[in-house]
Amino acid sequence: MFTLYKKELAYYLNNSIGYIVIILFAIFANFLYVKDIFVVGSASMRPFFNILPWLLMVFVPALCMRSIAEEKRTNTIELLLTLPVSETQVVLAKYLALLTLTGVSFVLTMGLPVSLFFLTKSNLSNLYIPEILVGYVGSILIASAFISLSLFFSSKTKNQVVAFLSSAVILFFLIIFSSDFASSVLPKALQDRLNYLSPVYHLQNFIKGLVDLRSLFYFLSFTVAFLFMTIIELEKRE
Amino acid sequence: MIQFQQVTKKFHNMSAVDSVSLQIKPGEIIGFLGPNGAGKTTTMRLLLGYLRPSSGAVSIEKKDPHRQRIAILKMIGYLPENNPLYLEMKVAEYLQFVASIKEVKKEQIQSVVEQVALDEVLETKIEELSRGFKQRVGLAAALIGEPKILILDEPTSGLDPIEQDRIKDLIKKMAKKKTVIFSTHILSEVEDVATRLMIINQGQIVYDGEKPKKAGGVEKLFKKLVKKE
Repeated sequence: MFTLYKKELAYYLNNSIGYIVIILFAIFANFLYVKDIFVVGSASMRPFFNILPWLLMVFVPALCMRSIAEEKRTNTIELLLTLPVSETQVVLAKYLALLTLTGVSFVLTMGLPVSLFFLTKSNLSNLYIPEILVGYVGSILIASAFISLSLFFSSKTKNQVVAFLSSAVILFFLIIFSSDFASSVLPKALQDRLNYLSPVYHLQNFIKGLVDLRSLFYFLSFTVAFLFMTIIELEKRE
Repeated sequence: MIQFQQVTKKFHNMSAVDSVSLQIKPGEIIGFLGPNGAGKTTTMRLLLGYLRPSSGAVSIEKKDPHRQRIAILKMIGYLPENNPLYLEMKVAEYLQFVASIKEVKKEQIQSVVEQVALDEVLETKIEELSRGFKQRVGLAAALIGEPKILILDEPTSGLDPIEQDRIKDLIKKMAKKKTVIFSTHILSEVEDVATRLMIINQGQIVYDGEKPKKAGGVEKLFKKLVKKE
């Protein structure tokens, strides 16, 4: 599986597309936080983690869209699946390579907490580092869920644009389930249930620095469910 | 020993392969003929375990290629139709990738590269190669791991006569140690290379036996059997 993982990673690293997507993500993530840093008036990374799902909604499908759709279009999927590898290995290798790339793009935002640390240090105020670390763990978990969903949609089609749009639209709806907009439009009973389905709702605990096992279980089961469906989709060859 | 017992493969109620039974012994070179859409590729995919039969049983050395896909694929080298390749990779990189998946030592890659004459393009990106070279890369990938069975789906399609001859010679050379099943539309190729001829039409085997000895005999037989249907 390591060979497959290396091959997937090499595609993005030997190709300008991978760099462009990662750098654009880093630019937007840094800019959207920094533009309001002095307006907010508190030394917290919470606004950054709050905007992350919206950025990931575009960034993750853009990164994942070619992953299986392109293999299907060029029929290299037949080549791959007639080598002695299982569908599970193929899907896991792709998932781990995409998670690694997302992790790299998160590293490019590490300048923010470091700058904030030095800014607050001179004001004699405190930046609570564990809260930030847990925030990053939550961000990795939400990215992992988004990657598995986008991989699934990439396995459903031969067209990268269709894969991108379908993943982005579904992620958009999952995000707005827990937004103020949904609570103002939907009946409360329904909104409460939909809210629980939203990854943003579960991310909130991590943003506050809390590792809630229910949220952890939500993200892990979300990821496993979509990876499993992707494997099933690859096994269906007709 | 490869065996098909009453194998049928349906796609949405349409039979691509219909009640096919056959046996292939080690060391045979099977020329697999048939018009477009006759079921050649589906038969090959069933053999690889890439597709599961709707009914009937496929076995290779008494193993089910679908259930024991990984074990079976270790003994098969496959060149798919239209030769899909990772075009962004260099030739050496691609062969290394295939070898690593097949868990084959690096030294074996070199011997395959020499066999297929790819030395001069090892550091070239696959997308920059001519069609003939691309076909040789696909063939080299199939040969890595010294597979007992070689399945080649239209290995000479779209190649110029010189490249066709080169591939034909390679198949002949390799066939001394392996079972080879190759499909083609070039009937003379079967006359030159195959030891046994199979003709499939509308999903059914309409001929399975020795190839005609007379020059042009394969063409006559093919036209006769396919027209009849």
